[in-house]
Amino acid sequence: MADVLGAFEQAVLLAIIRLGDDAYGRAILKEVQARLERDIAAGAVHATLVRLEDKDLLSSRLGPGTPVRSGRARRYYRPTSAGVEALNDAREAVDTIWRGLKWPLHPRKVKAHA
Amino acid sequence: MTTDNVMEEPPFWADALLRLLLRPEDRESVSGDLLEEYRESIVPALGSKADRWYVRQVGWFLLRASWFWGLAIGATLIARYLFDTFAPVAYTPGVMHPRSQMMSQTIVAIFGAAAFWNTWRTTHIRTGILIAVVAGALGGVVSSAGTGVMLACWHDAATLQAWQSSGGLGEAFVGVPILLLPISLVSGVFGAIAAKGLSIPTRHRGRAAF
Repeated sequence: MADVLGAFEQAVLLAIIRLGDDAYGRAILKEVQARLERDIAAGAVHATLVRLEDKDLLSSRLGPGTPVRSGRARRYYRPTSAGVEALNDAREAVDTIWRGLKWPLHPRKVKAHA
Repeated sequence: MTTDNVMEEPPFWADALLRLLLRPEDRESVSGDLLEEYRESIVPALGSKADRWYVRQVGWFLLRASWFWGLAIGATLIARYLFDTFAPVAYTPGVMHPRSQMMSQTIVAIFGAAAFWNTWRTTHIRTGILIAVVAGALGGVVSSAGTGVMLACWHDAATLQAWQSSGGLGEAFVGVPILLLPISLVSGVFGAIAAKGLSIPTRHRGRAAF
């Protein structure tokens, strides 16, 4: 069993996979914001990227800067095989928990409390 | 359009503060990401309010670097107040009780550790001192809030008497939070200088670069 990923960590890792070769800090932030449909602080994504890299679920390299960044370098991310495995485990865990239930759940049918 | 806003600059001090808070290997890339977002998305969308957005983002980094230490300071003070409330001791004016000594040493150690860790992480002495001082301010807020909650829960005559003998409400709400600032500054300077002096190498990112 690989690392247990939190929901936000999964969102960041999946954003990196979706972005492919264009997965750098700002693009990841925009992708996560679009997927989660809320405003997210750049620092929150940065902290998650650092944590995932410290766990060896991500690797990174520096790329060239652009004029709009005043020449400051971009850091590009890619998931490691451990990162992909952790995502698969997270998905499998959710699937297992939901197995046998029809989605979406309806409050009346599951006798939910008000 | 990108090129229209290339010359827009965020507040100089905020950009400098952000770079101070980041690890050397993140300094260019993270400040570049924020600058790119500021120029390409925020300035066109918010106009003159874009600077506020930038300052808020930097504030997030500052809070993230200091909240843990501030909470530790606040928790130490609240623990002391709880002891004074439920296990009061007789304080003699001019004589430092072991309980006071222990609390003071713990607080100095937390400030020192905050400065040491953040100087080591960023390689900047200024960052270590800054985080210690911000942690002092946060600790004062946490401690005042905790004191308020304690007062709301326990305000019988015996408890108030115990509080009075350990310094009173003025000390808890005003004296201690104000005193934390110079203590954090002095302890922070020592912690930061120690980190710089020891020169322990930091772990660099990008080892598994693709």
